[in-house]
Amino acid sequence: MKRWLIPGAVGLVLGYVLMGLVVLAVVEFGLFDVRASTPHKRIVAWAAHKAMIDSMRLHSRHVQPPERFTPADVVAGFHAYDTHCVMCHGGPGVARAAWVKGMTPSPPYIVDSARFWTPAELFTIVNDGVKMTAMPAWGDTLGRGRVWNVVAFLEALPYLSPRDYDALRRAKGQMGPVFTGPKTAGPVPAQNG
Amino acid sequence: MNARLLAILGCLALGACGESAKAPHWPPFGGDPDQGRVLVTRASCGACHRIPGVENAHGEVGPPLAHYAQRTVIAGMLPNTPQNLTYWIAHPQAVVPGNAMPNTGLSDQEARDVAAYLYTLR
Repeated sequence: MKRWLIPGAVGLVLGYVLMGLVVLAVVEFGLFDVRASTPHKRIVAWAAHKAMIDSMRLHSRHVQPPERFTPADVVAGFHAYDTHCVMCHGGPGVARAAWVKGMTPSPPYIVDSARFWTPAELFTIVNDGVKMTAMPAWGDTLGRGRVWNVVAFLEALPYLSPRDYDALRRAKGQMGPVFTGPKTAGPVPAQNG
Repeated sequence: MNARLLAILGCLALGACGESAKAPHWPPFGGDPDQGRVLVTRASCGACHRIPGVENAHGEVGPPLAHYAQRTVIAGMLPNTPQNLTYWIAHPQAVVPGNAMPNTGLSDQEARDVAAYLYTLR
């Protein structure tokens, strides 16, 4: 047993040193392409996406959602969403701002986010943001109450048709596409946001 | 077993072994499928559609796009041709006003590239 112990330990240490040198080289020589204009390599895309999901699941464990969401919560959440979120995340029938397609990772349309994430997870994502993406930690500026309103709205969003969303926008006083019925093509907005 | 029955069975067998047997082969229309694949990620299409060959494309808001080359009608409105598909991708709100798919913000060339990628999904 003692025969391989020392060479084994030396090999292990050398292996770690080599890995550290490789990491240093990647950082120092700019070998990792940070430009947003080029897509992630597939393995990097998989790892980043999985890390985000697993990290959010871990960090949302202690979060307690409210007993239930009221319609007032949903409407308040819509106001916050339409003001702060729609330009990156779009909505039912609502486009993202033109420059958003230049972002890596791309902020997803989140029409059915409530089907994939629990309320506690949605809260954590919105409240605490996501590193190395453009997703801010909205808790800082909105406060926890407003963030829960946004979560309430996200819970309702899969059930809102494009017309419903448009009606909410017009009640809020926003310009939006005019839906005049299936036979007429209404004016198509250039971009939103 | 007569010749006619054999011919029918032969056709059935061919249909069973190749989905691509049903998809038309379009002549080149100026779309780059590799660039199209990049644009699909850029435009976040996968947030709403399941799309083979694209990472993290497992949205359930819109229909899945597997075997899209075989799809006969786009959005229940337009025959699936390169020109129509390019138009749909760039201007969905003009084709079906008020539908849940937003205008993608893709230029005509970008939409052509995305259409070319979708046509690789045989």
